[in-house]
Amino acid sequence: MSFLAPFFLLGLAGLAVPVVIHLIQRERKQVVLFPSLMFIRRVPYQSVRRRRIHNWTLLFIRLAALALLVAAFARPFLSRPDAAAVVGSGAREVVILVDQSYSMAYGDHWDRARAAAREAVNGLGSSDRASIVFFSSGADVAVRSTSERARLQAAIATAEPSAGATRYAPALKVAGSILSESTLPRREAILITDFQASGWRGAEGARLPEGAKLTPVAIGAREETQNLSTSPVSLTRTTFEKQERVAVTAGVMNRGTRPARGVELTLNIGDRALESQRVDVEPNGSASVTFAPFTISSRNMRGTIHLAPDALERDNAFHFVLSPSAPVRVLVVERSGATGGASLYLTQALAIGTSPRFETQVKRADGISDDDLRQAAVVLLNDVTVTESLASRLGRFVERGGGLFVALGPYATWAGSSSDVLPGVLGAPVDRSRGDAARMAALEYGHPIFEPFRTPRSGNFSAARFYGYRVLTPAPSAQAQVLARFDAGAPAVIERKLGNGRVIVWASTLDLSWSDLPLKPVFLPFIHRVARHLAAYTEVPPWMTVGQVLDPSAGLTPSAAIAERIALTPSRHRLALNGEGPEVLELAEQGFYEIRRQASDADATVVASNVDLSESDLTTIDPEEVVAAAVGRAGEASGQAAPGVPLTPEAQERSQRIWWYLLSAAIVVLGADTLLSNRLSKT
Amino acid sequence: MHGLSTSAIPGARFVDPAVLARIGNLELVARSVVDGFINGLHRAPYFGASVDFAEHRGYVAGDDIRRIDWRLFARTDRFYVKEYEADSNSNFSVLLDVSKSMGYGSGEMTKLDYAKILAACLTYLVHRQRDRVGLVAFDEGIVEHVPPSAKHMNVVLHMLDRLTAMRPGSLRAPLHRLAEHFGRRGILVLISDLYDEPEAVIEAVAPLRFRGNDLIVFHVLDRAELDFGFGDASSFEDLETGDQLPVVPEAFRKQYNELMRAHIDALTRRFSEVRVDYTLIDTGAPLDHALFKYLSTRERLMRVR
Repeated sequence: MSFLAPFFLLGLAGLAVPVVIHLIQRERKQVVLFPSLMFIRRVPYQSVRRRRIHNWTLLFIRLAALALLVAAFARPFLSRPDAAAVVGSGAREVVILVDQSYSMAYGDHWDRARAAAREAVNGLGSSDRASIVFFSSGADVAVRSTSERARLQAAIATAEPSAGATRYAPALKVAGSILSESTLPRREAILITDFQASGWRGAEGARLPEGAKLTPVAIGAREETQNLSTSPVSLTRTTFEKQERVAVTAGVMNRGTRPARGVELTLNIGDRALESQRVDVEPNGSASVTFAPFTISSRNMRGTIHLAPDALERDNAFHFVLSPSAPVRVLVVERSGATGGASLYLTQALAIGTSPRFETQVKRADGISDDDLRQAAVVLLNDVTVTESLASRLGRFVERGGGLFVALGPYATWAGSSSDVLPGVLGAPVDRSRGDAARMAALEYGHPIFEPFRTPRSGNFSAARFYGYRVLTPAPSAQAQVLARFDAGAPAVIERKLGNGRVIVWASTLDLSWSDLPLKPVFLPFIHRVARHLAAYTEVPPWMTVGQVLDPSAGLTPSAAIAERIALTPSRHRLALNGEGPEVLELAEQGFYEIRRQASDADATVVASNVDLSESDLTTIDPEEVVAAAVGRAGEASGQAAPGVPLTPEAQERSQRIWWYLLSAAIVVLGADTLLSNRLSKT
Repeated sequence: MHGLSTSAIPGARFVDPAVLARIGNLELVARSVVDGFINGLHRAPYFGASVDFAEHRGYVAGDDIRRIDWRLFARTDRFYVKEYEADSNSNFSVLLDVSKSMGYGSGEMTKLDYAKILAACLTYLVHRQRDRVGLVAFDEGIVEHVPPSAKHMNVVLHMLDRLTAMRPGSLRAPLHRLAEHFGRRGILVLISDLYDEPEAVIEAVAPLRFRGNDLIVFHVLDRAELDFGFGDASSFEDLETGDQLPVVPEAFRKQYNELMRAHIDALTRRFSEVRVDYTLIDTGAPLDHALFKYLSTRERLMRVR
């Protein structure tokens, strides 16, 4: 209801006048002190009370009369929703959003969701149009804006819960776009879901168009749930007599409200059950078990942790893939006349580390064979005088895809045109042993080498002091990138790409002769990052999550043509990964994806795909919260009349006629007041 | 002041309490009232006269032989013991209610002022008979206590002068405590407005009589309390509890008067049943009038006995 003349409402302040007069009169009554009210109390009270009640009635009547008068003058009118409904009746545009996330497979939730969707379809009028959108982490329009009920029913009947997690915002965005494209006057979205709290991260900009209505249909919300789920495994690798063994630690989470006793966890490798263990899990708690270590015998061993079936089965399995870890081979090259400890810090730093493991080989510069270079992924030149033949061999090594790290000390030279391989020209040594030592500054934190040190308190290169370094002049033709500089501005680390490989030059030594960097905490991670970067090492994750995207070409040399590869999904569908198929592969199912050549499975890759375990938390949110965010106001039905439909003058007059009734009521009340006060004054 | 104490002219004998209230000095007031009162009465009803012979009684073993009336023995050849009316010096205590309700007065004089003068007069009167005088002031507990003594007249008057109505009162608790205290037979005068149920009043007062004390109750009420002569409708506030009630006096007066009369009647009846002297005193009436009324009652009772 609104008012045509709202300023008249200020007259409501006049209501205070009788009240104030009443209060003042009460104030004026003096208080008589009396020794004891003992006898007064015994006098029947009504004789006084009645008079007062009469006064109150009179007061209320007068207040009501005044309020009615004021309201009448303010000219209220109704913007009738029923009138709007009459105008906007007829065709509806309905978007039925059905939650397809795997939590809908809990108990009979999916059947109930389909029943609710069918009911929504049956409720459509002959001129209504409807769309069906299935959503999990994304939204998929199954049927778009049709009035053919059979198609809608068929889409509902054939759908099955997916392996995805719930996300409301994409679905609401799709619904919003369908509704805003519609020309029908009444627009409505029906959201059929279990309203999991984990899927709601705010509206994220999803907003239905103005005037649209969102009807939530909560499936199984607020009922007691009982669900056990696995949790990600942790893999501990140990090397024992050149055999690599791995111990699997698996967890189970109890998402229900009752404790679970004797939950059985089974570790499967391939198709064979290896071991079972039982644990007790408290409500909203978790427990973990560690299985006995086993040997990784081949590539792509498929491991699975299984739980006994419960109401929601999807989260009862956790898949992972095990392959023998491939060490990164590092060849450390020393100067011919170097002392024994020249590469001590370097080799010690590389000896530590499991992912990846570094296999270090130390050689003199004159004893390097072609075989050494073929096996190595990274060559580290530690202050080496490079002859012309060595330089050309190293150049070829890098072009093949190897990584070269050159540490410059007092003896380092590069025969021939250094800019063929190196990113810069070597200059004279700079002695900073007198006065202030040089420090490293201006690090390129965006580069993979320095990226881990980007955040505060995660490594401080400026703590290291440099007493000497070589002047490096970046070669313009080499497209060198300066990754770090000394405080005087001289480059400290320069990188260039050469062929398929990379070259990094470090302008100081890696022992204590020119700097104390090897004694600093950043030394070890720095060397590891350099070696990983130069070896182009990528970690293969043991598992991925449904919804993640797999780049099938990653880790393949260009020579291995992608065209002839296929992907085998867990449901044994074949996807051709040639130019006609998708370039990337989105994991949509739970299980193992296999990517291999069309003909043979010689260098097949197996990827484990797991469901998003946050989906197994079945706690719900208030549907009104989603509605309020999507519609902009809580739980309100469709709002105004469709714009641009003018009311007839009669209808306008009708909607404003309330003042007339109010005025009549005021007159009646005033008459009652007169009667009452007359009677009162007589008695 | 002398004029006040003269009593030759009938009608001037009773002094208006309002005039007395202006005197201030309680001893002077008491003397004015009592002297005038005695002079006007001509015949002093000194009660508890010390050596009044009462009767002879046959000797029984254990009686003090000094009390044997030898003359009678000579005449009758029998042993008789002489008994006297009363001890010459008895204890006299005023129990004065100083609860807040006593602070009420519709005119110039509050009930407490009136009660103070009444107590002073009685004290003065009794002191002139060489009796021991004492005072107990109480509200919900005991406020002041002056033990009875022949020398305490001034202390009592001084104490009376200082009393004010401060706190709500009750009868039962302080009186029951006092009852244990009065060991020696004596005369107790209770001055109060007795705002309690008649049965509760009797129950509170009765123990005072247990040791053989003579108890005299003065029920002090203001004229306004008796006839409820209020005009406008107003809120009545209880002096003791602070509760307020809206009251329309015209509507209330009849019922109030009935209730008050019933209360006084019940008290009169119940007190006479337990043989306690009860006198209703209206603070508007002259003070010596009250005294006279009371003492004449006493005298009549003594004669009866």
